Amino acid sequence: MHVILDALAMIGLSYVMGFLFYGFYRQFSARVQRRWGPSIWQNFFDNMKFLLKSETLSHGPMFFFGPMIIAAGAITTVLFVPFLKDSDWLQGFSHSGNLILIVYLLVVGPLGNALAVGSSGNPFGVMGVTRGLTRLMGLEVPFFLGLALVMLQHETTSVHAIMAAQDGIAQWNLFTNPIAFMVILLPFIASQNASPFDVVGAPVEVYAGPRVEFGGRLLGVLMTQNMMMTIAKLVLVVDLFMGGATNIFILIAKAFSLFLLTAAISLAFPRLKTEQTVDFFWKVPLGLGVLGVVATVWFPWGA
Amino acid sequence: MSLIVKMLFLAVSLSPALTLLVWGDAVAWPLLGGIELTFDLNPVSGFFMLLLALGAPLVALPMLRGAHEGPAYGLYALLLLGMQLLLLAGDFIGFFVGWEIMTWSSYLLLLRSERSDLEGAQSYILFNLASAFLLLAGILGFYSLTGDFRIEALASAGPAEQLILAALFGGAFLIKVGTLPLHIWVPRAYDQAPDTFSAFLSALMSKMGIYGLVLLPTLFPQGLAGLLGSLLNGPAAGYILAWIGVITSIIATFKAISQEDMKRLLAYSSIAQVGYITTAIGVGSSLALGGALFQALVHTLVKLLLFITFAGIILQTGQRRFNDLGHLIDRMPIAFFAVLIGIIGLAGMPPLPGFAAKYLIFVALIDARWLLLLAAMLLSSTAAFIYCYKLIYAPFLGHANSPEAKAATEAPWPYLVPQVMLMGLLVLLGIFPGLAIELVIDPVLIGLGMAALGAPSPGELATAYGGYDGVVLMSVFGSAFMIVTGLFFLLRGRMRRAGSAYDLSFAGEVPTAETPLHYGAGMGRELRRIPLVDWILSRTTTRFQAGLTRQSLAASGLLGGLYRRDPQTWILLAVLLFAVALTLMLLAGGL
Amino acid sequence: MELQLTPVWFIALPLLVAFASPLWVRLQLLMPLLFAVPLLLLVLAISLVPVVRAAPLLETIVIAPPLGIHLHLDAAALVMLILFNLAGALMAAFLWLGDTEPYLRGRQPFILIMLLITGCTGMVLTGDLFNLYVFLEIAGVSAYALSALRRDRGALEAGLKYLIIGSVAAVFFLFAVVLIYLQTGQLNMAAVASDFAGIPAPMQALIGLLLLVGLGIKAELFPFNFWVPDIYRGSDPATAALFSGILVKAFIFVLFHLVFLLLADPDVARAWLMGLGALTMLVAELVALRQQDLRRMLAYSSLGQVGLIVLALGFASEATTAGALFHMVNHTLVKLLLFFVAALMLRRVLSLRLGDLHGIGHRMPVATGLFVLGSLAVLGLPPLSGFISKLWILKGFAAAQLFWPIALILLAALIEAAYYFRWIKVFYDTDPAKAHPGIMAGPVQGAPVYLPLLLIGGLLLLFGVAPFLLEVSFVEGAQSLLAREATLEQVLGARL
Repeated sequence: MHVILDALAMIGLSYVMGFLFYGFYRQFSARVQRRWGPSIWQNFFDNMKFLLKSETLSHGPMFFFGPMIIAAGAITTVLFVPFLKDSDWLQGFSHSGNLILIVYLLVVGPLGNALAVGSSGNPFGVMGVTRGLTRLMGLEVPFFLGLALVMLQHETTSVHAIMAAQDGIAQWNLFTNPIAFMVILLPFIASQNASPFDVVGAPVEVYAGPRVEFGGRLLGVLMTQNMMMTIAKLVLVVDLFMGGATNIFILIAKAFSLFLLTAAISLAFPRLKTEQTVDFFWKVPLGLGVLGVVATVWFPWGA
Repeated sequence: MSLIVKMLFLAVSLSPALTLLVWGDAVAWPLLGGIELTFDLNPVSGFFMLLLALGAPLVALPMLRGAHEGPAYGLYALLLLGMQLLLLAGDFIGFFVGWEIMTWSSYLLLLRSERSDLEGAQSYILFNLASAFLLLAGILGFYSLTGDFRIEALASAGPAEQLILAALFGGAFLIKVGTLPLHIWVPRAYDQAPDTFSAFLSALMSKMGIYGLVLLPTLFPQGLAGLLGSLLNGPAAGYILAWIGVITSIIATFKAISQEDMKRLLAYSSIAQVGYITTAIGVGSSLALGGALFQALVHTLVKLLLFITFAGIILQTGQRRFNDLGHLIDRMPIAFFAVLIGIIGLAGMPPLPGFAAKYLIFVALIDARWLLLLAAMLLSSTAAFIYCYKLIYAPFLGHANSPEAKAATEAPWPYLVPQVMLMGLLVLLGIFPGLAIELVIDPVLIGLGMAALGAPSPGELATAYGGYDGVVLMSVFGSAFMIVTGLFFLLRGRMRRAGSAYDLSFAGEVPTAETPLHYGAGMGRELRRIPLVDWILSRTTTRFQAGLTRQSLAASGLLGGLYRRDPQTWILLAVLLFAVALTLMLLAGGL
Repeated sequence: MELQLTPVWFIALPLLVAFASPLWVRLQLLMPLLFAVPLLLLVLAISLVPVVRAAPLLETIVIAPPLGIHLHLDAAALVMLILFNLAGALMAAFLWLGDTEPYLRGRQPFILIMLLITGCTGMVLTGDLFNLYVFLEIAGVSAYALSALRRDRGALEAGLKYLIIGSVAAVFFLFAVVLIYLQTGQLNMAAVASDFAGIPAPMQALIGLLLLVGLGIKAELFPFNFWVPDIYRGSDPATAALFSGILVKAFIFVLFHLVFLLLADPDVARAWLMGLGALTMLVAELVALRQQDLRRMLAYSSLGQVGLIVLALGFASEATTAGALFHMVNHTLVKLLLFFVAALMLRRVLSLRLGDLHGIGHRMPVATGLFVLGSLAVLGLPPLSGFISKLWILKGFAAAQLFWPIALILLAALIEAAYYFRWIKVFYDTDPAKAHPGIMAGPVQGAPVYLPLLLIGGLLLLFGVAPFLLEVSFVEGAQSLLAREATLEQVLGARL
């Protein structure tokens, strides 16, 4: 019973946080661009509108099951990320998982999506998927390297253990291992499919994007999982670098501040092409990661 | 008559399983000059024998289809015999005998394909023989040091001698596993071999090289650490080996993405996957070796599954290129699921066991503090997503691109039975990674004198760095999937199937049957705009090897010019040489 | 009267049978006898194994001192005798059972083959330099005639060329014998050997070189073997099998017999012989890469193997020598098999060019299968006997910590694999477009002709799997070949 309630609470929390954060982002970007922008609830309304559409076009069974796989992947991801530390609640099944597993679960979504898009038979969709996978290839390397630096620092892959090791603010990995944070920051933004790395599914690129064939309730499901996934990733980074949170409010506060940072970066830079993205990730964050490895592993003066 | 032969053949294909189950005491066979071949089953060889026992009948089953081919059956039986000899051998001569029987019988099987050409066949046999002769040179070097052929640690040898031996043995095994730049025979052979036999080549024969690599550290008193000293908290030789493996897998992955032929793609993917195993062996900790063995197990199952499935597709459609297929999902659903399971395993996605293997290797790399290797390996393993997607998209999704693809039906049952069995095995292993550790991996690690990994429960994969529970993962994912799907249907609204396959959002136009809609081969072409990928893809060793062939033929022609056809020259040469030699000898004699 | 089983029978019997050939023609016993005589001698040789193991058999028939026939049957010579007679019997069976061309079935080939075997046997058995020369000429002359038997342009050319180069070799050899006689006044090998050290060094060098060139030409060593491919190409494949299988082996044996016997310190010749062997091997294997005619290819491959054998014998350790003896046996069997297959293909396809043999594996599956078997054996791949003998040689080098021959042997084997497998690939080619239009013009061969071939295949496999059956013979052969002191003592002691 506890497990089911806990799981439902996590799913609910991530959804609510998701649409609020996205609503805020739309407001924020509008203000930066000197527009009024929609209300903070707008994402919720949009999502409900899609989910309640009366007619949905399908291109075959795989086309239908693709979004289901993505949604299931998102829910699984959410349930394997511990939201709070030192608490019985909002833990999901995180004790049965670890950081590497979560990183791989993050990828289940794009792959399920890829199946559905392929099934639609739209070449532009497949082109978008290929771009998405290419970007993934670029971002995953520095992202994982940064996480590996943290895992090496604490000699564990367990998110719980990493959280537990960051007692006070001075022990936050953000401060004890700043290189790792800098290494993962930009790939993290890309993994959120946020600007400036958003060429794959960017609004004006819809005709060459992976979402091209989806509409109605299926698009609603995709949007839902996207919001939940965003929160899962934010919470993960909070857990890893900002010491986790002991209650929901601290969690929201930390996640929000992180979100604010990424949003600010997103809005400040123009969009990159896919291959530029990959090349950038392999040069700058990865180069930084290599320097980090050389500095912290090859010459361990800290330890 | 033909039925009896086929049943007999099937029985022969079960012989590795029989060996595994009923093997008794060691058997010895005196050869000559004090060389005695000894054969026995130990945990390490038992693991590889298990792979063979799993794979051999599954490959044999599709071979049974159609008119019976006596020679092919005979050669396959010889191949199995050779591999069993190799695995059972307790001394190097037996190992070599098995290795060579395997080499030539597989070569002759390869010749039976209509697609095999001179270049492919020659590169297969010459690379493999080069590998064998390096091995033999290593064995003889070993013998010159110990005076014995038994496979055991070198009692005493200088560092230089150890290094030379390691290079010889390592070279032999690395050729066999298709390490770059000695890989060129792999794609050719896997591409040209009879379709079902490619499964055997990729899934089982490449593992014999892995067996050799696993044995390699046991030959030296301090394992790999004794060879070149240590570097970055680990053996330098292992570090080099690990980098060789990783670079191989990166390059092979990008090569795989750029392939337009299904079997060639699988071949390059095989090189890349085996590269991971090489890396893990280079790390050499018990965690890493556990990962290597797990990866070997998974790769065997996955490549059997994929090659057999694609053999079925080729059988049914006669098409092998990504461009010429498409939309087989409705006509070959079992094959679709087989490939789906296969690529999930190949990509190392949870919850299938490919992830367990990757997890172990990653953790081992973190444990060894070799993070740059980890990053490089991650590059190849993420890039692998692209070719995995190509594998499922181009044949099964999108639009049918040839008349055959439009009319294909599911492959016959000898192809489907192995597919279903392998899918089941993969899913089972994914749910119970701990079981595989307990039953299969740990005995080998103990046999190698290393710490066992252990598993608290069948579903759990545990390491000092944490682990995960396959049962929980699978059930969470499964219930999430069912709940989402159920909720979706509960919602108001209806689903409508698109009126035709051309009912697409196509840039404001209406596509027709003539519009090129299949993106099969185009996939990954954009990648060349990335400088690193372009650099990798524009390099090839083909030219170097063609050059080598040309040079040796030129040398042959030059020397052949000596063999003149007129007797005067022969006599003249003989007399001249006689005179010159006599003069030289007399001068040297100090007259 | 009890029949003495003395070594002289090995020479006398085939000579007698050969000279009585008109009788056999009338009785229509030519082919059976051609088969039966070597077989009988084979059985005799095998039955002598225990006797020879106890002590070498010596027999001296004095004609007029110093001329006489001195026969010396030790373990090494016995191995060669068994090999020659086995090869002779197999050859005869092949000619008898097959639908052989008439020019290989008549009285002339009967006499010539008998004489060839006699000559080779004599060379191996004799303990006397003059006899050696006589037997060398007997074997040589019969070989020249055999290669010209077909009487077409190619065969006659081959025969003539063979005659010329063979005579030159004989002259070199004869000159060496004369010099030795002038210097020592002896012709008995053992006696010469004990006096050889007394000859002045420059004269020793001259004699050595003369012997080396003379026997080098005959034994197909590198700078003297340019004649080989032409002769093998021009002759019938079956006779080429005899040359490669028996004749060369006899000359190699003689060469090393003399080297080991005459030189008190084999180190003098070691570098020369090993160098020549390695050169022969590498050059021949490389040249074979480009050959387009099966007979030429086999000829070069034969040269390569000769090089290997010389390399191993030149090193003169017990293991390499025993291995080399074993390799001689294997090579004889393999080359018989391969040349027989070539003969069968020639009869069926009327050509042995690479381009004409596309896809022949599908029409002549047994013959091609046997070719593959023979190739595997000649390449030294397990489980065939070629592997064991090569392993033995390599092991000998490894035990002596000498690694350059190992590297060269393996490199040569790789090159050899390159062309053998190229031919095999062509044989099994499935592309019908490449099949030669004139292919399959000849008659289909009956099943019995495959019997000797299958027997050879079986022997190759048997010796590969159970080489311990033969081990003692080769080890003893090597010991008796290398035991100079003991031989001298026996022979000279017997003469006293």
